[in-house]
Amino acid sequence: MNIIECSSLTKVYGAVKALNNLSFELQENKITGLIGRNGAGKTTLLKIIAGYYRETLGEIKVFSEKPFNNLLVSANVMYINDQMNFPTALNLKEILNVSSTFYENWNHELADRLFDYFAFQQTQQYNNLSKGMKSTFNMIVGLSARCALTVFDEPTTGMDAGVRKDFYRALLKDYIDFPRTILLSSHHLDEIEDILEDVLLIKDGTKLLHIPVEELKEWAIGVQGSSAAVNDWIKNREVIHSKNVGLDRMYAVVKQNGSESEIQRAKEAGLAITPISSSDVCVYLTSKNKGGIDDVFIKD
Amino acid sequence: MMSLSRISLQEVVKKQYSYKFRSYIQVFLSLVFIQMLGILFSFNGVGMAGTSSSTFEIDIHFYSSDIVVIFTMLWAFITSILITTQAYRNDDFAFITNRLSSNLSNMLFLLTISMVGGLTALLSSHVIRILMYVLGRSEYLYTTTDVSEWIIGFIATVLYILICSAVGYFFGTLVQLHKVFAVLLPVAFFGILIVGAGTMNETIIQEGFEFIFKETSLAIFIVKIGVLAALLFTGSALMSNRMEVR
Repeated sequence: MNIIECSSLTKVYGAVKALNNLSFELQENKITGLIGRNGAGKTTLLKIIAGYYRETLGEIKVFSEKPFNNLLVSANVMYINDQMNFPTALNLKEILNVSSTFYENWNHELADRLFDYFAFQQTQQYNNLSKGMKSTFNMIVGLSARCALTVFDEPTTGMDAGVRKDFYRALLKDYIDFPRTILLSSHHLDEIEDILEDVLLIKDGTKLLHIPVEELKEWAIGVQGSSAAVNDWIKNREVIHSKNVGLDRMYAVVKQNGSESEIQRAKEAGLAITPISSSDVCVYLTSKNKGGIDDVFIKD
Repeated sequence: MMSLSRISLQEVVKKQYSYKFRSYIQVFLSLVFIQMLGILFSFNGVGMAGTSSSTFEIDIHFYSSDIVVIFTMLWAFITSILITTQAYRNDDFAFITNRLSSNLSNMLFLLTISMVGGLTALLSSHVIRILMYVLGRSEYLYTTTDVSEWIIGFIATVLYILICSAVGYFFGTLVQLHKVFAVLLPVAFFGILIVGAGTMNETIIQEGFEFIFKETSLAIFIVKIGVLAALLFTGSALMSNRMEVR
């Protein structure tokens, strides 16, 4: 059963295409990471899924229904981001109480325990919380609602390292207790890759990859050696990143094709082969420019 | 497949309505303040008549809760604009909602506060009476009102307040649709006042106002206001139904 089905989804703001012909499917009870650079269209996609925004072109189905203005989708999708808006007249405890009246699967015991663990005061006002505390509180609401599709858009904004770790652990534990489809967006893949099953990588509103995170870890390899040897070896291969190291040495990242003989050939040519972490693969794949930030500072 | 929660529109509206009473508490606080202000201003009296001869002088001041009612109408107008703003709309979208349920629960809320406002505005006449009795220096006279008269007064007051909130809600939604209305609507309002003042003849707008508000039959008045409020609320709901949020 697919929770989200999305085909040729396009969203246009003025002259900018935030989403461009995006197609993918999301299966039930998987934790998927939505990875992309700033402005790649992550939030736009998630807000369309939650039914806040309307798509310009293409089709999107959440629980086999169009999400915009849909009560079924609203009742079963929890969208959490760092710009949550809660009624200012309510204190934290009252917000949790109101939430519990709305969401059918709401786990109030979990909410209370997390509330106490993160040392919130009942009478605190949401708007007086610090950025990280707001994110922590949002997370409590997001987890306790136990919606069939739970969407966290940059959930760890402002959280300190300790709370971030706690959050990922809490997410995983509650997922095991109550499996559901979770979509998590972040720029820090290295932080969340341990809890992810799949990665959906987008760039400029289009899908680059949608693969299990295990495959992403072996998706590319790095080679380093003399420029001539490296250039010779990477011929006919998909190069996703390259840079000069020193005068005549070079470093290149290529897509892995699983050929043992080629690795052997590289070793014979004196090239050093290194694995590339999945977060580096994402950075290289989504980079908007050739070269790097260094090139900006090179004056002719 | 995990079973999905299914919730009917009616249920959501009911939940939103009860949650709005808790979270829009400042609406009622402002009602208390605005009516206290209205009572204070009522001490001046709403009218005055006087006569005198060489040996005596009579000044008659009329006191009523008219000012309180007018203030309450203004309060309803402003409150309605307020709850169409982004912050309030986004509050709804923190929980289960769609645009229709959000509009419906807002309308129910506005209908309720119109009744509360109308009731307290009418009751304020008693407060004024007591205060005049205690604080007034001169002779204070009053006539008692029939229950039937009182009920008619209550219904009419509520309808006046309701139409103000329907207009406010409509204007607020227009402004949310496009910011240009934030300038356009006040300009149009004052423009009409000026145009009306310039000509000796009654403008269509003035005639329209009189047609609606200077109705002597309560039944027809209820129908007129009911239809107008329904049109304004439906218009607001249709306009905001495709609006993107958060």
